Amino acid sequence: MLSVEAVSKTFGGVQALRNASLTCEAGEILGLIGPNGAGKSTLVNVISGVLKPDSGNVRLAGEEITGRDPEHCAWAGVGRTFQTIRLFKDLTVRQNVEVAHITCRAVRPAAAARIGVDQLLQQYELAGFADSPAGTLPYGSQRRLEIARALALGPSLLLLDEPAAGLNEAESETLAIAIEGIRRDVGCATIVIDHDLRFINRLCDRLCVMDQGQVIASGETEEVWRDPRVIEVYVGQSETA
Amino acid sequence: MTGSELSQAVEQMAAPAAAAQPGNAVLRSLIGGLVTALPVLAIGLLVLNFAPTYYTFLALGAFVNLIVVVGLQVFMGNSNIANLGHSAFVGLGAYGVAILSTPLAMKKLSIPNAPFGFATLELDPVSSALIALVVVGIVALVSGKVISRLSGVAATIVSLALLIIVHSVFLNWTDLFKGNQAFFGIPKVVGLPWMLVFAVLAIVAARLFKDSRWGLQLRASAQSPQAAAALGIDAKKLRLMSWVLSALICGLAGVLYAYFAGTISPKLFYFQMIFNTLAMLILGGMATVTGAVTGVIVLSVGLEFIRSIESGVTVAGIQMPQLLGLSGVALGVVIVLCMAFRPSGISGRHELDELLSLLFRHSAR
Repeated sequence: MLSVEAVSKTFGGVQALRNASLTCEAGEILGLIGPNGAGKSTLVNVISGVLKPDSGNVRLAGEEITGRDPEHCAWAGVGRTFQTIRLFKDLTVRQNVEVAHITCRAVRPAAAARIGVDQLLQQYELAGFADSPAGTLPYGSQRRLEIARALALGPSLLLLDEPAAGLNEAESETLAIAIEGIRRDVGCATIVIDHDLRFINRLCDRLCVMDQGQVIASGETEEVWRDPRVIEVYVGQSETA
Repeated sequence: MTGSELSQAVEQMAAPAAAAQPGNAVLRSLIGGLVTALPVLAIGLLVLNFAPTYYTFLALGAFVNLIVVVGLQVFMGNSNIANLGHSAFVGLGAYGVAILSTPLAMKKLSIPNAPFGFATLELDPVSSALIALVVVGIVALVSGKVISRLSGVAATIVSLALLIIVHSVFLNWTDLFKGNQAFFGIPKVVGLPWMLVFAVLAIVAARLFKDSRWGLQLRASAQSPQAAAALGIDAKKLRLMSWVLSALICGLAGVLYAYFAGTISPKLFYFQMIFNTLAMLILGGMATVTGAVTGVIVLSVGLEFIRSIESGVTVAGIQMPQLLGLSGVALGVVIVLCMAFRPSGISGRHELDELLSLLFRHSAR
């Protein structure tokens, strides 16, 4: 579904991404992890068109989307959420979802017919606030709304940038169940960035570990945690120090 | 119609609106626009039937302002970009019909040397208006191409530049626009009834745009450009669309002004108009069409009251001094107070029909 090949990106003198590659298949949940500054968000921004890579390729379902504008990437099927919540605060909850569904109706009518705005509001426990301004929702509901909105786009790839940030354990668990529900119902490829490793391990089929702009390991979740380089990044810096 | 009859009528209109399904969105929006236009219609009919000539004249001016402010709302309210150039389009509309429809005998006096054969051309008022609006549309399209690529302050500065350019052309291309002097002899074909019809149409058009998918997408992109782009919204295209529609409504206001006043001059379409109409929109609340209407009603009445004080009045036997320039001061004070204490304006977030249906739902409980 998604294939990222040897993507590099430099900001000033800092190389944020070095030859980063990853793939994510339909129906798969991929965890993208690594320490702060590893390049996770940069990679997500390259895939969703916010940043243009210096070199490398991004393909979605065979279609080349490298360096396209964010709206083109959205039309091609990339849906995303943001590390800091970016809702349309003065629009109602329903309108937030409706805005995304408008695009979906225009570019993917078949998907739009399957996904209903009301159905998404129900599923993400937002129906009760449907007519309230999005900015008035409690934090956890805002996180859910951002995901519901991205899904209303009918994406074939969903990028979740720290969806569990600021949620308590119970809310994280609810969120994990919801994301598994997406895999079951929508079947899109899903990439999750998060620092909460318990959340990531519980949810993801595969992991992709980044450090200093490079992908240092990727594979089945359990396998990856046996990789010495990953252990080094997360716990074992003492050996190299 | 008594108060209760009116409220029943409104309820009948608002009730299905509240229950409407997405499929009826256009109908709901249309009804909403008509409800918003009701106060305007009521004031217009009152003036038409009961007011002395002087007030009718004032009301006509206020209706022109209303259409300008509604036009301004279409761009500002949805894109959240301040526009300081809209009276250029009012001027273009007014001068367009002046040049096209003024009788030849009058043109011999005013613009005998007009280029492109305009000195010997006299069209009927309707064709003139349509051609003037096409010209407004073209200027809007060209300027909009620039403005829609920008956002925030940069776009505002370009709109201001447009105002200054158009004003300079009016002033200096004397063969065509008669420069600083008044352009007179325009056929006076518009009275209060037509003005009222077009005011209602402008309000409905603004509301339909706001509630349309383009309006919704544009409002979304104004609130979070990044999220909007990530949802496939082409903000540039939508800004251009709203800029052109806004310009056309302002141009229409200019056409109507020329047709009711019969005489125009460049200074009418300059900073004074920009400030007056901006203050009206800000005071009423630029997020809604209702806000535009409210601001025009409140400030038109308020400014007229201030003007009557300006020339010196007698209060309790004491002759007050003349206070020239008071209306300008008051306008500034209104903008400052409003920005400080109620930045969303009088009407805030809700349209009149939405407020009414909220009220009825509340009282039904």
